[in-house]
Amino acid sequence: MTREQRFEAEALPHLKAIYGTAYRMSGNPHDAEDLVQETFLRAYRAFDRYTPGTNIRAWLHTILYRVRTDAFRRSRRSPQTVELAGDGPAVPPPQDALAAGGEDLARAVDALPEAFRVAVVLRDLQDLTYEEIAGVLGVPIGTVMSRIHRGRALLRAALGGRKR
Amino acid sequence: MSCDAERVTAYVDEALAPAERAEVEAHLAGCRECRDQADEERDLRGRLRALAAPPPSPQLEARVRRSLRPRPGAARWLLPLAAGLVVLVAWGRGASPFVAWELSRDHDHCFGQRRLPARVWSSDPSRISAWLEGQGTTVPVIPDGAAGLELVGARYCTLLDRTVAHLYYTGGDKHLSLFVVPGPVRSTSREMRPRGNFVRLMRVGGTEVGLVSEEEESVDAFERALSTTVAREAGTSFAAAR
Repeated sequence: MTREQRFEAEALPHLKAIYGTAYRMSGNPHDAEDLVQETFLRAYRAFDRYTPGTNIRAWLHTILYRVRTDAFRRSRRSPQTVELAGDGPAVPPPQDALAAGGEDLARAVDALPEAFRVAVVLRDLQDLTYEEIAGVLGVPIGTVMSRIHRGRALLRAALGGRKR
Repeated sequence: MSCDAERVTAYVDEALAPAERAEVEAHLAGCRECRDQADEERDLRGRLRALAAPPPSPQLEARVRRSLRPRPGAARWLLPLAAGLVVLVAWGRGASPFVAWELSRDHDHCFGQRRLPARVWSSDPSRISAWLEGQGTTVPVIPDGAAGLELVGARYCTLLDRTVAHLYYTGGDKHLSLFVVPGPVRSTSREMRPRGNFVRLMRVGGTEVGLVSEEEESVDAFERALSTTVAREAGTSFAAAR
C-alpha cells in the first residue's frame, strides 16, 4: 500500500467529522470547506509523523486547529481566548441564543466564545478525551476541563436550564 | 469535598482518576445542586452529540483528493525540469559571455538613438559620481576620458535581471560605454566580441565594470585609465594608512 493509499484509507473517512468541527469553528460552509481542504493537505504532507494506532481523528483535529489559528493570524484577528479559572466572573449568556428562546441548540453553540465552543465541540460532538483535546489545543488538561465546564454552563443558561 | 463544579463536569466526562471519581460520587449523593448539574450536563451532552452540521458539499471529498495530488503525471518530471531550467538561467545570467552580450546590446541600443538617452548630462566625473551615489551606486573611479573620448552623461539601464549604471563617452564618431554591473559576474572570459563590439569585463576596486566600444583601442585605453587610477588611489590610501 502506498503512502497515498494509506492516507486515503485512514484519514479520508474522517472528512465529515472534520468538516463538522470546521463548520462549528467558522460558522459557515464556505470557510469550513477551505479549512478542511487545507487540513487534509497538511495532514497528507505530515502523514509520516502520525503514529499509527493513535486516534487519527484527534491528530486531524490538531492540524485543523492549527490551520484555523493560522487563518486567524493571517486575517490579523485572533480567536477569542477567554480564560476563566475556577470561580472567575461569569460570561453573560450569548444574546442570540437567549433571543431564540433557548430552543435552538445550534445557535447557542455558535454563539459561544470560540475557546469554549471549540472545547465543547471536541468533547461533546467529536467525543475526544480530555487528553486528546489538551493535545489538539496545546493547553493543560485543567484548562480543557475549565473550558468545557464554562462552555456547558453557558449553553445550559442559554437554553434555559435551571441554573447557570 | 465541597462543591467543585469543574470536577463535576470532569466526572460526567469520565475524565477522573478512580479515587477522585469516588470522592465526587460521594459528594453527589449528598448535594442536590451538583447532582442537578451532572444531570443537566449529561442531558446536554446527549443533545449535542445529535447536533449534526449540515453535510459538506458533495464535491468536497473530490476537491480534497485532488489537492493531495495537485500535479499528476507529467508534473513528476516537469517540476524537476523546471527547477533545473531556473537554476540554469540564473547561472547563465551571471556568466560573463551573457553579461557581455547584454552590455553590447545596450551599448548599441543607446548609441543607436538619435539623441543619447542620458538622464544626467555632464563631463565632470564628480557630478556623475554624485548622481550615481544618490541612486545607490558607488563607482570607485570615473575617468573623465581617454583616447579622445570624453564623458558626456549617464543613466540607468535595466538588463534582464539587473539595473546597471551606464556611463556614456563620445569623441567624434567614436563611442564607449562604461557599465557598473551590480552583483557577481562569473568569469569564463574577460575579453569578448559580442555583436561586433569589443567588450571587457573587469573588477575595479571591488566593483564589476564593463567596457564596450566599437574600437578596441578605446577599450584598451579605458582599461588602462581605470587600472592606473585605481592603483594610484590604492597606493595613496596605503601610504596614508602607514
